[in-house]
Amino acid sequence: MSVRLGVELGKLAVANPIMAASGTFGYGLDLLEFCPPERLGAIVTKGLSPKPRRGSPTPRIVETAAGMINAIGLQNIGVEAFCIEALPVLRERGAVVAVNVFGERMEEYLEVIDRCEREEGIAAYELNVSCPNVTAGGIEFGHDPAQLERLTRMCRAGTRRVLWVKLSPNAPDLVGTARAAVDGGADGLTLINTLRAMAIDAEKRRPVLARGCGGLSGPAIKPIALRMVWEVHGALPSVPLVGIGGVETGRDVVEFLLAGASAVQVGTAIFRNPAAPLRILGELERFCAEHGIAEVRELVGALEWH
Amino acid sequence: MIARRDLAVRVAARTDLSPTCFRLTLTAEGPVEAVPGQFGMLSCGEGFDPLLRRAFSLAGVSQRRGATEVEFLIKEVGKGTTLLRHATPGSELRLLAPLGNGFSLDPGAHRLALVAGGIGLPPVLFAAEVLAGRGTPFDLYLGAANAAELLEVERCGKAAAAVGGEAVLTTDDGSRGEHAFVTTALARRLSQGRVYGRMLACGPTPMLAALTELAREHALETELSLEEPMACGVGVCLGCVVELADGRYVPTCKEGPVFPAARLAARWWP
Repeated sequence: MSVRLGVELGKLAVANPIMAASGTFGYGLDLLEFCPPERLGAIVTKGLSPKPRRGSPTPRIVETAAGMINAIGLQNIGVEAFCIEALPVLRERGAVVAVNVFGERMEEYLEVIDRCEREEGIAAYELNVSCPNVTAGGIEFGHDPAQLERLTRMCRAGTRRVLWVKLSPNAPDLVGTARAAVDGGADGLTLINTLRAMAIDAEKRRPVLARGCGGLSGPAIKPIALRMVWEVHGALPSVPLVGIGGVETGRDVVEFLLAGASAVQVGTAIFRNPAAPLRILGELERFCAEHGIAEVRELVGALEWH
Repeated sequence: MIARRDLAVRVAARTDLSPTCFRLTLTAEGPVEAVPGQFGMLSCGEGFDPLLRRAFSLAGVSQRRGATEVEFLIKEVGKGTTLLRHATPGSELRLLAPLGNGFSLDPGAHRLALVAGGIGLPPVLFAAEVLAGRGTPFDLYLGAANAAELLEVERCGKAAAAVGGEAVLTTDDGSRGEHAFVTTALARRLSQGRVYGRMLACGPTPMLAALTELAREHALETELSLEEPMACGVGVCLGCVVELADGRYVPTCKEGPVFPAARLAARWWP
């Protein structure tokens, strides 16, 4: 049987529910021979700031049980280089592009969006709010609902394109921040970003990473991500959610959809296998065919209680 | 540039080379091309722990009756490498290769100096055997902590001899070859007037730092193969960056792993 893979995230309809996650797929053109960006529901760019950023000192990554911790420090080429070098090729290929946006000040988010607004071929913005706000004493934008609402509202005023906020699992009040983002005008929510974590070298008595702490990703965080998607979907059932956290198989995608996500992002799995998003899409299609699911969208929020 | 591929490979043989190191020979169907200095990302088994593939420099790639034999020399240092040391012959692994940029093998007006320390040997051995096949002269310096950890001594000697070069062995404890660091053995020959066109090296960071100093003193163009922790191997995770002299961080997997020593930031050296 043929399975209809298309899903809608509010006003954005995508051909399938598999996206490449920010920070794991470059600017969409690095893995062309393994995973052409136009075959995915969408690709999310590496987080872009107004100016290029150098990133953190090394070591930046460490593997942990069924996961990894990274502290890359948001190294990126800057929005201008992205618009000139990568975007025209992505547009030409017909990829659905979501630009991941961050800044150290609220105005910097808007600077990135303003620059992108001059370009065709961007479907959505995803606000990375796990960045410390230097003008508010370094508290992360996504940790304070009032601040998050202000940031989202300001970005909302800058664009008519689809606007997602990527929620931090480290925020003290997940549902509160989800609600704040929606009140500020977000069309959808991506969840979850990485979990703040640490690895220690017992011999050297030092943290492994140069920055001490970083963000945990991979299969280790999937149960937490599922719980968070389920909670936010329960509180805000009409808000489109993009689930992310340890997606490795088609079955994982089904689980996120059941919990309430309308699409998923594949991240760390790409580091293990650059063709992972396409393999996972194939597995999802097969799962649906084998289970008599004609349309993937039937699965969204279809979790049953026993 | 040679196309990167995600290959299904089979474990053909595992051979212990020292108390800590082993040779892993894999076969891939069809032709695989690579140049010395390039590397591959090798899966260590099924499941999520270890999660990531491991980056290893290629120690040799040879075509055999429609198939390709790919060789790695590996030091057992943790979960992933322990699994590989016990991989069952015939079992299937995934290999993303070839990745990164290799050494410059053009012969200059003078011989090349190839320098390897410990488990830094694989890309140097690959270079030595390719150069021997081309008839490009070189000397090979191979150093290790002790006699038992000197790897593939015969192959090194054979490759150097094929082009009339010297294979210099050193050990930190004097149990075989010269009782010296490999850098000291090279420094001695340089000060005695031996001239090289270029130096290609791989080994522990302090060794590479010492070689860079030596190269500067003797105005010897030098390329170093670096090792950094890697997640993806293809330039998207930005975990494996190294700092360049111009202050930029670039991914070792994509812009390296072989770098001209002069391009690297001075403060990269400890």
